[in-house]
Amino acid sequence: MGVLDIFRGKLIDPTAYPGVHGGGDVITTTVDAVVKWGRKSSIWPMPFGTACCAIEFMALTASHYDLARFGAEVLRFSPRQADLMFVAGTIVDKEAPILKTIYDQMPEPKWVISMGVCASSGGFYRSYHVMQGIDEIIPVDVYVPGCPPSPEALIAAVMKIQERISKGEQARAPQGAHRLGAPGDGSLDRRARKQAWNKEDGERAAKGLPPRGVISFKVLASEPGTPERG
Amino acid sequence: MASAAETAPPPPSPPVGGNNPAARILSERLASRVLQVEDFRGDLAITVDRRVWVEAALCLRDHPDLDFKLFLDLCGVDWLDLREERYEVVLHAYSVSKKHHVRLKVLLPESDATLDTITHVYKGANWFEREAWDLYGIVFVGHPNLTRILTHDAFVGHPMRKDYPTARRHVLKSPKEWLLRVPADNEHPVVNIGPSHPAMHGTFRVQAVMDGETIQDCEAEIGYMHRNFEKMAENRTYWQIIPYTDRLNYCSSFMNGHGWALAVEKLMAVPAPPRAEAIRVILSELSRIMDHFVCIGTNIVDLGAITPFFILFRAREDIYDLLESCCGARLTVSYVRIGGLAADVPEDFVPRCRAVMKSIVDVTSQADKLLTRNSIFTRRFKDVGALSADDALSYGWVGPCLRASGVPYDIRRDHPYSGYEQYDFDVPVGTAGDCYDRYLVRMEEIRQSLRIIDQALQKLPGGPVLVDDKRVALPPKSDVYSNIEALMNHFKLVYEGILAPPGEVYGYTEAANGELGYYIVSDGRKHPWRVKVRPPCFNIYQAFPQMIKGHLLADAVAIIGGLNIIAGELDR
Repeated sequence: MGVLDIFRGKLIDPTAYPGVHGGGDVITTTVDAVVKWGRKSSIWPMPFGTACCAIEFMALTASHYDLARFGAEVLRFSPRQADLMFVAGTIVDKEAPILKTIYDQMPEPKWVISMGVCASSGGFYRSYHVMQGIDEIIPVDVYVPGCPPSPEALIAAVMKIQERISKGEQARAPQGAHRLGAPGDGSLDRRARKQAWNKEDGERAAKGLPPRGVISFKVLASEPGTPERG
Repeated sequence: MASAAETAPPPPSPPVGGNNPAARILSERLASRVLQVEDFRGDLAITVDRRVWVEAALCLRDHPDLDFKLFLDLCGVDWLDLREERYEVVLHAYSVSKKHHVRLKVLLPESDATLDTITHVYKGANWFEREAWDLYGIVFVGHPNLTRILTHDAFVGHPMRKDYPTARRHVLKSPKEWLLRVPADNEHPVVNIGPSHPAMHGTFRVQAVMDGETIQDCEAEIGYMHRNFEKMAENRTYWQIIPYTDRLNYCSSFMNGHGWALAVEKLMAVPAPPRAEAIRVILSELSRIMDHFVCIGTNIVDLGAITPFFILFRAREDIYDLLESCCGARLTVSYVRIGGLAADVPEDFVPRCRAVMKSIVDVTSQADKLLTRNSIFTRRFKDVGALSADDALSYGWVGPCLRASGVPYDIRRDHPYSGYEQYDFDVPVGTAGDCYDRYLVRMEEIRQSLRIIDQALQKLPGGPVLVDDKRVALPPKSDVYSNIEALMNHFKLVYEGILAPPGEVYGYTEAANGELGYYIVSDGRKHPWRVKVRPPCFNIYQAFPQMIKGHLLADAVAIIGGLNIIAGELDR
């Protein structure tokens, strides 16, 4: 038995799909499975493009790579009509509340692809105005590495989303919420470092210790009968 | 020869600033208020007393022999403990008629970091002064709207100060609600466009008071893409900054790296070999074409037609493939090195390049047929968003947008770099300065770029692509593995980075959107002390709210697309 899959353009065995059972000329399935199948074959993505990645996203939707082949050609610029959000580009702290609003406006069920390292982790912008990964504020389903990722990697990500849709998986909570607003004072400037060292040296001097950086070796008292350590 | 040189009297030392009269005229006018005149690598820098700051700027602009009408850049510098007076404000200006650059500086003590505003001298100074306040806390007395511009409202402190930790963040809970001061009895609707709006390309925000379909008043907000290039650059070596420059104007990544390499080469006084320069020119011009494709293509998409976008992006893919064959990356190439290129181009570069050129000619003529005489398109574009040449100069526009307003200034022709003087090309100039002129100038620049590429391919010189200079270039791997000097040189360069001499330079190139300048201040260590990007988009976008007043809301979409604002470069 076979039915025509319009997306693959050939006869396929429908029982290969999860939740579909065949016997004779009758196929039984569940509404859930049909809905998931329909959903995964007609993703309406919304590009939330801010930076370089948005340019590669354009390449993905343009003629050469053609995302339409995966049933995801209807780009929606309104979150209310979309079910997949591509976060393409660096999200800075100023943009963060807008991203959150847009995500909240998307109807359920919804999926998020974090495109590129900036959206996934802040990338090489570890600095005062850049969000260290969008998962501080919104849940992310698929992270795509690359700076920017190649369109092929994005196609793979869309297929991963399709897999998740057919399995009914969906990220529910921001995975990196604990990082939100972390102070990140790791790299201090010259003057502050100098001050900190001077303070530490002062503290050590008050305790009668040598200044920081000077290593003093303990002089071992040589007791009779024990071999001297060098 | 040597004996003749010994007996001949020493040549008279050239006057400071070469043939640039700015130092002489300012010294005559301001006498002892001119504190210092420096000339480093051909850059004239004049330090004046803070009390005559406005007078000096006015003199530079209005004196008939100076005529520094084109505002380029204004920025702060924090010297921390290195100097007695902690802050410095630096102005860059250019004279289109006399072809001179000038740098005007003023020193400010930490206890009283205030300076008179020059917003009435140059219109473009407005946002730059806001930026200097935002990032350095320098107060500009008399500024009409001294508020945060790049960072958000919940931000505490001034992040570019040297005693601000690089990674200390502040959380913003909700965006700024009102950009405009709207009176309580206002009956007109206020429309908020962006930042998440397809026409605003994700990162610009405009708020407008509408009178019917017409924009009565409007204000723009930026900073939605401020990812701190300048702060990061202060913690990176000169090499490590190259990947960051790629992400400034990401539509034409290669050109940013090209500009950066030239600026550092100017600082180090190490020119790149001719083959590297020729390849840089070819790839820069291809990047320019790519940038113009994105500008025209997305502009048309915003207006509702998608076919030219698909057509133009076909050739863009071909250029991507060429770049990928050279350096392995499509978009963010990181192909330049200080003193040359990372690697030589593949053997079949010339035929591949020819094939790409053919495809560019093909798609350009197709887009030309679809657009240039299309009546819907021309009616949306003609007489929309015109800006006069004087205003454009005062705002600091350079590049296709300035040329569309009728000022024939192109750095490639007026201050040739990388061997542009060898190539024959025309500089297209508009007449009306409207959207249609900007479109036509871009289309013509694509053709002129193809001419340059054609000539560069014809006389592509042989030889190395990286300069043989131990201070900047890594030795070849075969040497590193076989002799100790090369190994040590490699180790020192990687570990210590390039050690630039103390001094400051302003390197500028003609990027796709206009003058991309890098103002580098070096204190002799491996990290630059200060890097300021002079982004063309910042000046261009500043004029946008003024340009759309009185226009229809739909025209605003056409105008912003035609200006080609790139967020990465605008907010850095």
